[in-house]
Amino acid sequence: MQAIVQRERENLFTRLHPLTGLLYVASLAVLALLFSHPLYQLALFLAVGVVLLAAGGWQVWRPYLYFSLTMLIIIVGFNAVLGGWGETVLFVGPAFPILGRPRVTLEALLYGVGMGLRLLVLTSAFCYYNHLVNQEGVMRLLSPLGGRFVLVITMATRFLPLLVQEFNRIMAVQRCRGVKVTGASLREKVGSMVPVLNILLLAALERSLQVAESMQARGYGSGPRRVYTRELWRPRDYLILAALAAAFLLGLAAVAAGWARYTYYPRLAGLQPGSLLPALILTLALVQPAVLNWGWLHWTWLKSRI
Amino acid sequence: MAPLDLVEIKDLTYFYPQTSRPALEDINLSVSAGQFVLVVGGSGSGKTSLLRAVAGLIPAFYGGTVAGRVYLQGEDIRNIPRRRLVQQVGIVFQDPESQLVMNTLEGELAFGLENLGLDPALTRRRIVETAAALNLGPYLSRPVAQLSGGLKQKAILGSVLAMQPRVLLLDEPTSQLDPMAGEEILAAIRRLNEENGITVILVEQRLERCFHLADRVVIMDRGRIVCDAARPGEAARWAVRTASPFVPPLARLFAGEGWREVPLTVKEGLRLLNRELSRAGDKLPPGEGPLAKKSALAGGTPLVKVKDLWFTYPNGQEALRGIDLTVKAGDFTIIMGENAAGKTTLLKVLRGLLKPGRGLVRVLGRDIARTPVEELAGEIGYLSQNPDDHFFLPTVEEELNYTRKKLGLPVPFDAGEMLAQLGLAGVAGKNPRDLSQGERQRVALAVVMAASPRVLLLDEPTRGLDYQAKRDLGELLRRLREQGQAIVVVTHDVEFAAEYGEEIVLLSAGRVVARGEKHEVLTGGVFYSPQVSRLFQDTPYRVVTLEEGRQILRRLRQGRDSKLRREEIL
Repeated sequence: MQAIVQRERENLFTRLHPLTGLLYVASLAVLALLFSHPLYQLALFLAVGVVLLAAGGWQVWRPYLYFSLTMLIIIVGFNAVLGGWGETVLFVGPAFPILGRPRVTLEALLYGVGMGLRLLVLTSAFCYYNHLVNQEGVMRLLSPLGGRFVLVITMATRFLPLLVQEFNRIMAVQRCRGVKVTGASLREKVGSMVPVLNILLLAALERSLQVAESMQARGYGSGPRRVYTRELWRPRDYLILAALAAAFLLGLAAVAAGWARYTYYPRLAGLQPGSLLPALILTLALVQPAVLNWGWLHWTWLKSRI
Repeated sequence: MAPLDLVEIKDLTYFYPQTSRPALEDINLSVSAGQFVLVVGGSGSGKTSLLRAVAGLIPAFYGGTVAGRVYLQGEDIRNIPRRRLVQQVGIVFQDPESQLVMNTLEGELAFGLENLGLDPALTRRRIVETAAALNLGPYLSRPVAQLSGGLKQKAILGSVLAMQPRVLLLDEPTSQLDPMAGEEILAAIRRLNEENGITVILVEQRLERCFHLADRVVIMDRGRIVCDAARPGEAARWAVRTASPFVPPLARLFAGEGWREVPLTVKEGLRLLNRELSRAGDKLPPGEGPLAKKSALAGGTPLVKVKDLWFTYPNGQEALRGIDLTVKAGDFTIIMGENAAGKTTLLKVLRGLLKPGRGLVRVLGRDIARTPVEELAGEIGYLSQNPDDHFFLPTVEEELNYTRKKLGLPVPFDAGEMLAQLGLAGVAGKNPRDLSQGERQRVALAVVMAASPRVLLLDEPTRGLDYQAKRDLGELLRRLREQGQAIVVVTHDVEFAAEYGEEIVLLSAGRVVARGEKHEVLTGGVFYSPQVSRLFQDTPYRVVTLEEGRQILRRLRQGRDSKLRREEIL
């Protein structure tokens, strides 16, 4: 529930212009997809990790991490067993039907790690968006692109937690009626879900009618809407956007120059010392919001200036 | 139409689609600018439909067949473009959760203004002014999900007010709120009416809290206006004369005893009482001591035993701290307390939905921590706040059979007697979701009772019920108690607790702060005492029910004749 409901925290990130937050997340995602070098993925992961920790988001980041790490292990495992490419054979497994004798290579193993790291960056960026970006503000920014669609998304984010609450409540009531959920067989459990989902659907339909009535009574659909924006641009936004632009351009340059590219197969490419420095600068540029946040929290002078 | 009439309804009759009974029948009503009109009546009496008609939602949103006209300042509302109409008439419904559409309070306040296509600068100004008027300023940037029920309803009220309507329609705006939050909403509405001159048409069930606020009271029954009283006192006398339940307790007490003046507040009641006392030579009649004797609490077998119960939620909030409680067969225990006092948590622990952190909870001799919820389904009935959580089958009968089937009891069974006992004769073949709120509450109770449980746990069963439905429920629970069932009710409703409860447990911040027979706990308090107790607080009598109040008033009149000394009593 709390993962969905955005919470206001005492930090700089929740007080940024929504476009700043959105661009930060988008840049992370785009760079993660462009980079194939594990070192660059690591650079992105470190940056977003530091920012999330600085925002006090360990509690909310943890489930994303667990999910990504589990996926990372699965990806590495599958790729190592089923990939089969690469020349550095670590060991050859026993014979399996259809699969034959899987060759586990160092290249396939590390390729899996690289992919897993990309997933880590993407899920962490999603976590940042979920918890630190003013989503209603983002929706307002996007509304000129499609007002009705954006309103539907806004309402969905509002009603999803409510649906979860209702589900738990109905579940409790049905259990009290003797509907078995614990200690039941899978078939019984699925059968038990029928009334719960049925009630949930009926409740959602009834609620949607009431919401529609309230919207109609407040003039929705009575003519063209005009979206009210109230977001302010502050120096903190410009500072972060400048660092972000620098990081993004550097990332593009790294891709163009081939520093952020990495060849796993048939043999692992060696690390070029020249590619390390841009990765380091990239991390520093993306960590800058965390530094500003620290200053905002501890330095009154800075707080009043940005 | 008088020159100042803002709303005029003429010969209005309305049928919802696919219904043969009119929801509104031959309605004629004129409301002048600045008036505060209270509309009361039972479920299905047409109150909500009346508001919908004034808001133009009938027939525009609902369809159906309509005859007659509704005029706003002399203009037929069907000819008023919707954009202009919503700036003249605003409506707030019962449940805030079913009205809020945005994620932040500021977004919600802006919603209606955005729909009107207002300039952003004007929108900003209106938001600021509305927030200031309703004291919402500090919460503007808060996510809606974090707001309390009262603030959510205020957000809706604000969203409507920001559109600056001249007529404000309110359909039981406090029915889903606790009393404190409800008071706050009503106070805000009163301020808007008195200071801004907004015309208010309020539909409300908590008459003791709003009867005195109204300039005029309209009573509805089966789609018709049966009483249109220019003053609330007149409506109270009419209601008592016609045995209508829609009258606040104090008015019922005095009007029922034939007093010419009818008080609407405790203050007015005290004035009348003191005047009568001085007429009687400051003498109250002798009694047999305090009327309310400490009624011996039922001495049945203990069914629920709670010892030093502690419960902490995963976020660290200690919801229950060292609770001790015993409930015996034939007990009627009421658990009261402010929001987040731990009432619902306690009920859920008793039912096994939450497991105790520390301490012991034994229900029917079984340790609740080690018993799966489903195993006690036949022994403990649990009624949640929302009766609709129970219903998914097309008929009441099927719902009852489903409960029994799940418990391995024989089906089909003859539910006729039970339904009749619950005042539900004739509904067995109906869809529970088509019934009124009061009937749904009782059907949910029937669904629970189909298992013949020995303990009944009810969470806020009076929420949203009208006086009649509340009275029916109270009488029913009393009968069940007399049959030996143990009843535990969580409620905010002091009047209900006083009238029907036996033992009161007052919780605060997870601890029991008072516990005892209702005459001990509910008298002498400031907040947790019914109106009738507050009226007699300066007498030696411990009065909590209307019947006890009636007896004192009768004695008082008798005492005027008998010349007995005041010292015996005061």
